[in-house]
Amino acid sequence: MTTQIAPAAPELEVPAPQRPVRKKRDGRAAALYLLPAGVLLLALMAYPLYQLVQISLYEYNQPQASGAEPLVFIGLDNYIELFGDDQFWSVLVSTVLFAAVCVIGSLLVGTGLAILATRVRTVPRMLLFLAALGAWATPAMAGSYIWLFLFDADFGVVNEILGMQGHSWTFDRLSAFGLVAAEVIWCSFPFVMMTMYAGIRNISAEVIEAAQLDGATWTRTATQVILPILKPLLVIATIQSIIWDFKIFTQIYVMTNGGGIAGQNLVLNVYTYQKAFAGEEYGLGAAIGVVMTILLMLITVVYLRTQRRSGWQP
Amino acid sequence: MATVSRPVRKRRRPGRLIAEIACCVIAALVAVPLYWMVLSAFKPAGEIQSPAPWTFAPSFDSFERVLDSQGFGRYFVNSAIVALCVVALSMLLSFLSAVALTRFRFKGRTVLLVMLLVAQMVPVEALTIPLFFMVQQAGSAVPALGLNELAPLVLVNLAFSLPFAIWMLRGFVAAVPAELEEAAALDGASRLRFTWQVLFPLVAPGLVATSVLAFIHAWNDFLFAQTLIFSDVDNRTLPQAMRVFYKPEELDWGGIMAGATLMTIPVLIFFIFVQRHLASGLSGAVKG
Amino acid sequence: MKIKGVLAAAAVGALVVACGPPQAANNQPQQTGNAGQPVGEMTGELKVWLFQEASNGPKEAVVNEAKQEFEAAHQGVKVTVEYLPVDGRASRFNGAFNDKNSSPDVAEFGNTDLAGYTASNGFADLTADLGAWTDSKDLIPSVLDTAKVKGKTYGIPWYTGTRALYYRTDVFSELGLQPPKTLAELTETARKIRQAKPDLYGIATGGKYIYAAFPYIWANGGDLAKQDGDKWTASINGQQARDGLRQYAELLKDDICPPSACAQLTGSQSVAQFAGGKAGMTIGGDFNRKAVEAGAVKGKYAVVPLPGKDSGSIAPAFAGGNLLGVFGASKKHTLSLEFIKLLGGKKYQQKMYTAMGNLPTFKDVQEQVASADKTLEPFVKTAQAGTRFVPATPAWTKIDAQSVIPTAIQQIATGGQSLEAATDAAAAEMNKAFGS
Repeated sequence: MTTQIAPAAPELEVPAPQRPVRKKRDGRAAALYLLPAGVLLLALMAYPLYQLVQISLYEYNQPQASGAEPLVFIGLDNYIELFGDDQFWSVLVSTVLFAAVCVIGSLLVGTGLAILATRVRTVPRMLLFLAALGAWATPAMAGSYIWLFLFDADFGVVNEILGMQGHSWTFDRLSAFGLVAAEVIWCSFPFVMMTMYAGIRNISAEVIEAAQLDGATWTRTATQVILPILKPLLVIATIQSIIWDFKIFTQIYVMTNGGGIAGQNLVLNVYTYQKAFAGEEYGLGAAIGVVMTILLMLITVVYLRTQRRSGWQP
Repeated sequence: MATVSRPVRKRRRPGRLIAEIACCVIAALVAVPLYWMVLSAFKPAGEIQSPAPWTFAPSFDSFERVLDSQGFGRYFVNSAIVALCVVALSMLLSFLSAVALTRFRFKGRTVLLVMLLVAQMVPVEALTIPLFFMVQQAGSAVPALGLNELAPLVLVNLAFSLPFAIWMLRGFVAAVPAELEEAAALDGASRLRFTWQVLFPLVAPGLVATSVLAFIHAWNDFLFAQTLIFSDVDNRTLPQAMRVFYKPEELDWGGIMAGATLMTIPVLIFFIFVQRHLASGLSGAVKG
Repeated sequence: MKIKGVLAAAAVGALVVACGPPQAANNQPQQTGNAGQPVGEMTGELKVWLFQEASNGPKEAVVNEAKQEFEAAHQGVKVTVEYLPVDGRASRFNGAFNDKNSSPDVAEFGNTDLAGYTASNGFADLTADLGAWTDSKDLIPSVLDTAKVKGKTYGIPWYTGTRALYYRTDVFSELGLQPPKTLAELTETARKIRQAKPDLYGIATGGKYIYAAFPYIWANGGDLAKQDGDKWTASINGQQARDGLRQYAELLKDDICPPSACAQLTGSQSVAQFAGGKAGMTIGGDFNRKAVEAGAVKGKYAVVPLPGKDSGSIAPAFAGGNLLGVFGASKKHTLSLEFIKLLGGKKYQQKMYTAMGNLPTFKDVQEQVASADKTLEPFVKTAQAGTRFVPATPAWTKIDAQSVIPTAIQQIATGGQSLEAATDAAAAEMNKAFGS
């Protein structure tokens, strides 16, 4: 997974740091350095995760948790119930599509603005960054309420400007998803933008100059020199965005009032919450959690595979 | 930036002006929701639902309502303590791990890196039940690590923000030239001395930058706080206190916006403070 | 290599099955002592959980008074009260059930949550304790029933919530309308209001406002579910329940309360619309009066019982309300009981009524406040006409959390599903919950 900047052309090679030749003692030293974080992650993440798998194999509701009723091992029944639920599959499809829109949206907006930021002077750039940092810093719940307020049917400033008072943005399924996606992109593009901006800035001037001297136009330089160099960055930003956007909860929960009219705007995490946690069916909730983790891993692996095939080197 | 655009600058003056105007317009658009948040927080109760983008009678009523609510100050301090502890520990642990993962070669390194990604994929809501019982058990051995205490909250938030912190920090550590390490080795410096006396100061800005994400994570955490601190009034954190205003039934818009403003400000200050380092850190995240 | 793999798989399998998932140490319901014998400690800190209200000040004032009175009467006792937001209460209560050591002693909780809490052995059985309390004879029987699960009483009803029909007197007299006498008339009246005044909803009510929809089901002779011994079966897809839901969903149409605005409304939101002067009518509780009084329609509204199917009848209302109970894990059982007998007793119910407008649960206290305050009449009338309750089973928590009934109402109202399909699906979901 260590990534080196993939050279676009041999003469543009960026020297990767050479590793010192102290390999023998590396293993032991590394173990020592990794020990504190490792212990913590094993104890507070791996072990609960193992217990999560266990819970998913039991009938485990609130009475079982508080010890009022004995535990019953039911094998894969929770999973069978889940996979037999038509709603699960339709929610799964909307989750994937919704996450895809959010991921692509944040990447496009973030990268576009990063490129824009490299081409303007300090003051406009600082303004853009300040606004973006503000969006990034806003707690998810607050952000959701603000957007809901802006797009309120009667009192929202958006309807006021558009002259369509009374129009509900959350009644129609797609319009509701769109509104939430806009909010998600608003608070997640800054990460992509900052990353890509820093990436562009880090490209050494010689690389660009060399391309320019070769007579390349600005567009060609951008697509054939800069983009390939940025590719590893883009891949990471994409993976992070997939992980975050697939697990969206607060925005959907708050903005569509718990999943929209008759559950039309449910995504997996909200579905899990309503199906399992609010109803205190933890066994089923654990099963969905396990399925979600596996699903995310699959998506990431498939994505990394396609990237590798198209030349990205891990 | 200068280095990138130097060759084209002469030809592109008018283009840049357009770009700058576009940049300012977009910045304004991005800022609208935030502006609205602050504005609504200052609007007097009667004006809250008016779509006017200004107010001539700013009032502190909403802020007072938030600040007067049950133990706001106490919760603010608790949140700050938890967040700062998470930041400090996250800096230390992620630095050590990032050094190990970028500058040492050992078997299973790639596997560990992949695990860091996988760790971020687990939906945290699902883990609250096992964590509850773990903390309960820890508490019967060491009371300070039990339920309703702040220490386990620190540890849990730390664990869940660590994978991303390590992932990001790798770039900073990798950016330190290998020659420095060789030179240090030739000078007879031990690895430990190199790590602390050479690497650490060089990576420090990156550490601060990375820590902002751990800060946000801990500062905004609602789920763990609600699960682990369920019966001790004094150890409640800020998002739990804010919950009073986030009632879906009767939205106190002024209170919500004032609370959100108060919650956003510390993060924003932190952000602006580390902004410059953050940018280079994010790009560094892939150079390991 | 192969053998290694098999071994590893076997090891993992063994690990998964070997030790079960975590669980709290088994707790049996706390034994209550013989009559007259105090159970548990009689000094120390008494931890109390109450719900945080929209305007909590008056509630806090009354509770503080009770706290001082109690502390004065009990040497060495300190009462600590915490106000929990209603939203998100589940994790707090579950935390208390799962960790006995940090459990509080006393809590206020909604009567719809009771069945779920008792399934976790969360609250102490107070049947014997309350039987020995003379005042308990004055508790209204139908209200006391909401504090019972399988014949055992788990709390003192602190106040009841009954809903009735609010309407705009100015709008009605301007349009020459009379308060509706039947549910069918209500629909017509609502339609007329919106026709004459298109900026008003005929009646503000919502797809998530199940306590407004239930009276429609009950008034039509239907029910949510039927009990047969220990077994519940959904009857929401029965003919009469369907008639009720059809009639209710008719309100969520463009000519009365447009679904784009109303399909998602909850109870308080519906009342807020009315209070803001945006509706000709609404269904609201006695506990909503303060909010309406504070709104734009102050002095321009009146309340009547929600009519039933036939002229002159009253639709059975949902018997909402909150209870005061003692945690099963409390180490101060008797002391806690003393405290809820004080705070939930006649004197403080009266005070709570004055401060918050909460309707008392003692027959004599209720009559007393009703005779002094004419605005309470429609609510008391409704309560006396007979109230109904949701299925008293832990499964209800799940059905409620999964929004089974709001989903059905929304589907019918928006035309996403036919009445038959939506109610059949809801019944299937409910039966699944009952079955487990």
